[in-house]
Amino acid sequence: MGLRRTRRPRLAARMLWALVAAGLVAAGCGGGGDDDADAAEPTGARTEKSEQGDPVYGGSITVGLEAETNSWLPGEANFANSGITVALAIYDPLMRRDADGVVRPYLAESMEPNDDLTEWTLTLRPGVTFHDGTPLDAQALKTIFDDYLKAPGSNLAADLEDVEEMVIVDDLTVTYRLARPNSAFPDSLTLAAGYPFSPTAAAAAGEDAGAHPVGTGPFVFESWERDSQLVVKKNPNYWQEGLPYLDEIVFRPIPDEDTRVSSLTSGDIDVLQTLRQATVSRVRELDGVDSYEQLGNNTGVNIFNTTAPPLDDIRVRQALALAIDREDVIEVLGGTGLVPPSSQPFGQDDPYFSEAVDEAWQDADPETARELLEEYVNDPNRSDGKAPGEPVSFRYDCPPDPTLNELSQLYQAFWQAIGAEVELRQVEQATHVSEAMAGDYQAKCFRMGVDRDPYPNLKSAFTEGSAANFTRFTHPDVDAALEELAASTDIDERKQLVEEIMLTVNEHYPVTYSGSTLAAVAVREHVKNLDGWTFPDGTPGSGVPGATVMWGHVWTTE
Amino acid sequence: MPLLLRRAVALVVTLLVVSFLTFCLTSLLPGDPAVQILGPEAATEENVAAVREELRLDDPLLTRYVHWLGDAVTGDLGRSYRTNQPVGEAIAERLPVTLEIGLLALVIALAVAIPLGTLSAFQAGGLLDRVITSTTFGVLAVPSFMMAILLILVFAETLQWLPATGWTRLTEDPVENLRGALLPALSLAMGELAVYTRLLRSDMITTLQQDSITMARAKGLPTRRILFRHALRPSSFSLMTVVGVQIGTIVGGAVIVETLFAVPGVGRLLVDSISQRDLMMVQGVALVIAASVVVVNFTVDLLYSLLDPRIRHGRAATA
Repeated sequence: MGLRRTRRPRLAARMLWALVAAGLVAAGCGGGGDDDADAAEPTGARTEKSEQGDPVYGGSITVGLEAETNSWLPGEANFANSGITVALAIYDPLMRRDADGVVRPYLAESMEPNDDLTEWTLTLRPGVTFHDGTPLDAQALKTIFDDYLKAPGSNLAADLEDVEEMVIVDDLTVTYRLARPNSAFPDSLTLAAGYPFSPTAAAAAGEDAGAHPVGTGPFVFESWERDSQLVVKKNPNYWQEGLPYLDEIVFRPIPDEDTRVSSLTSGDIDVLQTLRQATVSRVRELDGVDSYEQLGNNTGVNIFNTTAPPLDDIRVRQALALAIDREDVIEVLGGTGLVPPSSQPFGQDDPYFSEAVDEAWQDADPETARELLEEYVNDPNRSDGKAPGEPVSFRYDCPPDPTLNELSQLYQAFWQAIGAEVELRQVEQATHVSEAMAGDYQAKCFRMGVDRDPYPNLKSAFTEGSAANFTRFTHPDVDAALEELAASTDIDERKQLVEEIMLTVNEHYPVTYSGSTLAAVAVREHVKNLDGWTFPDGTPGSGVPGATVMWGHVWTTE
Repeated sequence: MPLLLRRAVALVVTLLVVSFLTFCLTSLLPGDPAVQILGPEAATEENVAAVREELRLDDPLLTRYVHWLGDAVTGDLGRSYRTNQPVGEAIAERLPVTLEIGLLALVIALAVAIPLGTLSAFQAGGLLDRVITSTTFGVLAVPSFMMAILLILVFAETLQWLPATGWTRLTEDPVENLRGALLPALSLAMGELAVYTRLLRSDMITTLQQDSITMARAKGLPTRRILFRHALRPSSFSLMTVVGVQIGTIVGGAVIVETLFAVPGVGRLLVDSISQRDLMMVQGVALVIAASVVVVNFTVDLLYSLLDPRIRHGRAATA
């Protein structure tokens, strides 16, 4: 007898801390020390594309992905960027961000809150059906919500914790009832929790539902061979008139960066996605290749355990932060000339990026750092219990990876230069994450950020009792600002609050930053319109965030 | 029959030992599988406890092992923690891919190594021998991942004869399948053929000094006949042993090559499963690998007796 389980939970994709191994070294892989000509150019996203021309119908393209995804069933699936991009072919997101970062209805027709933001009413478009013919109506949404997303073991259950129930209003309308006000709630429906799948098909497939996705999207799932290829075909009954353009898309996970680029140049694949800075700069140079870049909300960080001596003392954390020179770190990560230094989880192009936070973040000041550390070392009541005068010592963990080894050694050098003793330790990914969650560490390398509303992420990263509060940092000001953030729909006020939160967090140094991460989709020139997607009402969309693509709008001239 | 019976018993004992050790080793790995499954945001204490309960992770090791063994004996290897796919199905999907690449590599390696080794031994010390020797040492020094990148650069990027990545099932399109398998197989074969050539050369040199060969020469037999008919067979014992061991390590060697060429083989499955604490999958794959190593070694033993009548008759006499 096997394990009798209906569905099982999976690593939640949506968290402030990006945990996938590939993500951890996203900025990695050699290539540091670009020549001066490159360094002189401004850093950040560039998009270079050929003449797009008019849409063409038909054709098949092959897409090279960074990684395979464990399952395609929301609640069970662990959607990293490479998974989201496939999901966007099969499913339609209920909500999606537009070019200005505002969350709007995509598959949904409308989404309206009540006055105190505790009830969100979603209306569906009439006449939309899943690929198996099941109508997308209020009952379908409720079944998905009750039986899958909120079911015990769903990896979205924690994310939807505040949603107490879903109530059917009429055939096409449901209301999400929340336990507390949350202005960011529609954002939850931009990712897996907002990918409606056919409840009849999922029920029929039972335990194998994750291998047989049935959505409403522009393409119909055809076949999947794990680690080899997933094929989707044009949805002839797509609810958006005139879409999609392509007849077929083949998605192929090719984990090795070099061979993925080789496959693009040799023509085995037409499209590749990457989060590696070295690959981003390589594909920029390729002839006959268009590259669509976006500076995402993803940055390399160090996390400090604010409850573990000596890092529980702010003087030590601040000293370590001041000892770092972010430009040197970016060079080791291969991002010189590509990405700017970061000071917050938001990239420069994000609406929540704050200049004030950026200016407030100081680094590369070893003098002050040494003084701060000495002050701690000579403190008779120092938190690590050592005798005054004894040097500060701690352990720094990072997963085994050539780039991360270099990174660790660089940090070690920064910190030894101000008089700290640093022991480097290589920890395999799964252990690394478990230790971070358990608070069983002193300092670790990590990545931070995700393309969604700041509220749920900042909440899980910096509040009491959250399993994802790796640094154990909490602050009454942060709690208060988070509460206001949840209750506000005004974008300017929300930006202000996020800025306040980040200023408070950064003043206490639970994390230090390195550089932002560029995500890129590179295509052979015959593939067009990767970033030109629009909402059904014509509002321009958010392009290719995190190298994810709205495939229904893409065409090929070959 | 006693030989077969002894072997069968050995097989069962080996598999029991391997599966138990794998069970112990995976339990010793730091990092809670339940936490891996849930992820930080969802990994509250109750959730973790619930998942551990569901996966029986809190039962004593021996209880879990016996439970797993009971299922395994009936052919049920459980379902993956990570993908929810039945473990048996996953292995059945991937093992043929790894075997095909491994066997193709073996065929290529032998097809090149046998003539090279023989020629090299025949003209030991000559120019050809020295060229072959230095080339094989050179190839031996290049690790398979390096070889893979070189091959991709030449055959996929520059010449564009073969695809850099991609896999088509044999049943779907045999030609495309072979095109996809060729580069991975070549990058594995290069290292092996160097070893095989060296081995065969040294054994062959010894054989060529034996009286029987001098006798054959004296009889005026053509060189080709002497080399491939009289000398090759007695010279291939070490080669046979090493080939047997190599087959056993196909999966190990395939890990890197499968990842580089994005081939859906069992090596890639194993590595991903270990890093994601998919203990069910690790357990199943380890069992299948152990079984194939034992079976291959058994087959090699049988082949010895085919190659060498002395072994065959010796056994027959005592039986």
